[in-house]
Amino acid sequence: MKDVQSENDIKISIRHLYKIFGARPQEALEQVKNGMGKTELQEKHGHVLGLNDINVDVPSGKTTVIMGLSGSGKSTLIRHLNRLIEPTAGEVWVDGENILEYNDKQLRKLRKVQMSMVFQKFALFPHRTVLQNAGLAPSVEGERERKYADEARKWLDRVGLEGQGDQYPHQLSGGMQQRVGIARALTSNSDIMLMDEAFSALDPLIRTDMQNLLIELQNELQKTVVFITHDLDEALKLADHLVILKDGFVVQQGEPQHILLNPADPYIEDFVSDINRARVLRVRSVMERTTKPLAETAGDIDHDDTLESVIALSEGDTTLSYRVIKDGAPVGLLNMRKLVRALVPSEQSDDPDSARRSG
Amino acid sequence: MATYDFVFDGLGLRDWCGDAGGGGLSSMADLLSETSGEEATVSAWDTPFPSLDALHEACDKIPQSRELTLGLERGFLDIKDTLKIVVDPITQPLSWALENTLWLMQATPWWIMIPALMLIVYLVGRSFKLVGLVAAAFGFLAFVDYYDYTMQTLAIIFVCAVICVIIGVPVGIAMSRSDKVQRVMIPILDMLQTLPPFVYLIPLIFLFSVTEPKLYGIAIILYAMVPVIRLTDLGIRLVDKDVIEAADAFGMTKRQKLYGVQIPLALPNIMAGVNQTIMMSLAMVVIASLVSAPGLGVLVLRGIRNLELGVGLLSGLGIVLLAIILDRVTKAALARINASQPR
Ligand SMILES: Nc1ncnc2c1ncn2[C@@H]1O[C@H](COP(=O)(O)OP(=O)(O)OP(=O)(O)O)[C@@H](O)[C@H]1O
Ligand SMILES: [Mg+2]
Repeated sequence: MKDVQSENDIKISIRHLYKIFGARPQEALEQVKNGMGKTELQEKHGHVLGLNDINVDVPSGKTTVIMGLSGSGKSTLIRHLNRLIEPTAGEVWVDGENILEYNDKQLRKLRKVQMSMVFQKFALFPHRTVLQNAGLAPSVEGERERKYADEARKWLDRVGLEGQGDQYPHQLSGGMQQRVGIARALTSNSDIMLMDEAFSALDPLIRTDMQNLLIELQNELQKTVVFITHDLDEALKLADHLVILKDGFVVQQGEPQHILLNPADPYIEDFVSDINRARVLRVRSVMERTTKPLAETAGDIDHDDTLESVIALSEGDTTLSYRVIKDGAPVGLLNMRKLVRALVPSEQSDDPDSARRSG
Repeated sequence: MATYDFVFDGLGLRDWCGDAGGGGLSSMADLLSETSGEEATVSAWDTPFPSLDALHEACDKIPQSRELTLGLERGFLDIKDTLKIVVDPITQPLSWALENTLWLMQATPWWIMIPALMLIVYLVGRSFKLVGLVAAAFGFLAFVDYYDYTMQTLAIIFVCAVICVIIGVPVGIAMSRSDKVQRVMIPILDMLQTLPPFVYLIPLIFLFSVTEPKLYGIAIILYAMVPVIRLTDLGIRLVDKDVIEAADAFGMTKRQKLYGVQIPLALPNIMAGVNQTIMMSLAMVVIASLVSAPGLGVLVLRGIRNLELGVGLLSGLGIVLLAIILDRVTKAALARINASQPR
């Protein structure tokens, strides 16, 4: 029973996925499987290694963020999930079915019913009104505007575009256009939402707004979101599960806090070194787990509080300790000295450090 | 002796040529040299290009260029009948459409026709200025008794432009969908566009009798169809890749994409192509009066043939007026499409 349960929790499962761009990908695939890297493949064979043996499980009802620098294969990867790009080798399982075996009709159904997508450059239809854009999914099913208008309007209202239904996309600002993009994805009522750098084209303030909107919607709807970004702050803010790509392969994946505290690779270290750790790290990631009753604590804090808020609470006093509460019950102890150590990347515990250097 | 005797002697082909090379009087030069009694010695300066005629002088087996053109002509006449069996039925509707439209536009009394045209112009362009221009132009042409000719020209342009669109848009769509089709079509379109209009007429005259309207109809359509094909292809290829990707991501079929996204977004370009197609039909309809196309072109021709300067000038003015009207009206339609979907 338990096994079935845990299997159900995985919505999309990517297995040994390879993508090579070029004239003879199968030959190049052999080379890649024999260990040839991206640069070498490009120089010797003129093929571009897009994805290299990707294995990712996307948990159901959570936000999975795929992060990586430009050219690391993020867009390529997300486009395999609805087969906008065909892989060179590998499998993509959605709800227990290998979508690479789908025929055209099944594939269209997958795209219409199970998945929706939000694009970096919005990709709205310029010749259709905002309402018609939001109602794209039902209109593809052949529904008339009269029929889908209510549903589309509901989601437009939900993303903050009340009364804008009759405008055309070019009459809206970038932020508003992306709201239409999100409403379009929501109107399709699909479980899975693919977002390729959905907020990267927006300016910082609007971007924060949109991130908050997405978090709100997520709390409400619990969709399976696959979100792509090259911005670590955004990734850490949104991610339940974080996948870090580099040159087409997965460098590390897991719980974001864990990755932050235990970077597996100098590449990720670089990534995380610039981050404001106090704002991102949570109490639960640095506390000592203990349930035994504690004396002399300075107060109670929630396990999901950021370290920043704890520092503010302690007013910088490093001698204090706090009791950590989860759902009303004490779960651990946070020592301020430990907290301060966690703020400095190089002060990490020694064993993962040495393991990383040798590996 | 001919200049190139040495080639055939050298190659040992003299027997194959027969001995005519030295003997027969095959050219004027030979004849002259014969009468003047001296061997024709050709200086290096005057060495002729080794053309068919020059080689023929040296060897009878080489055909003269006159025979080449004759051969082409004979070859064409040979396949003509088979060609006609195929082409005739296909193009018959064109004759029929032209005849009927010509009849209709001339049979309708002027006091219905001119207001009807004004109404159409209003519906297309939504501009009273344009309607006024049309009324003035047709009024003037009717006043100088060119009404019938104008209607004939208009009828031909109308039929040909409609057929150009009916054929051209699907061809353009096919080109936009497949690089292979595009690679095949582009040289054909280049050829159609660069051939001088008169050249179209030559094979057509052989194929059809001059009394058949489709003779000039085909010439006009072939010439005028190019821009609408090109711009349909271009327009669809220029549609934003991201928008197409979105259409795919939401599960649109190819058909839904074509009618719901690609054609609507390519419409400004397609309309620009239609505008050019109409202007080119007008240019060709004048030339086609050489092969019995009725209309203002006939008057221009009369002006040239009979040196009737006044007729030529006035009908020329009529053509200019028609050109202005057609251009303005289609551009107004284009502007309205653009206004409805700015990017
Ligand atoms: N159609 C294609 N043909 C050849 N190479 C391609 C193609 N599409 C992508 N690539 C290559 O695959 C690699 C990954 O590209 P991808 O667009 O997935 O990167 P990305 O992580 O999304 O980058 P960005 O942040 O710039 O969007 C790049 O090296 C790119 O050059
Ligand atoms: Mg990308």
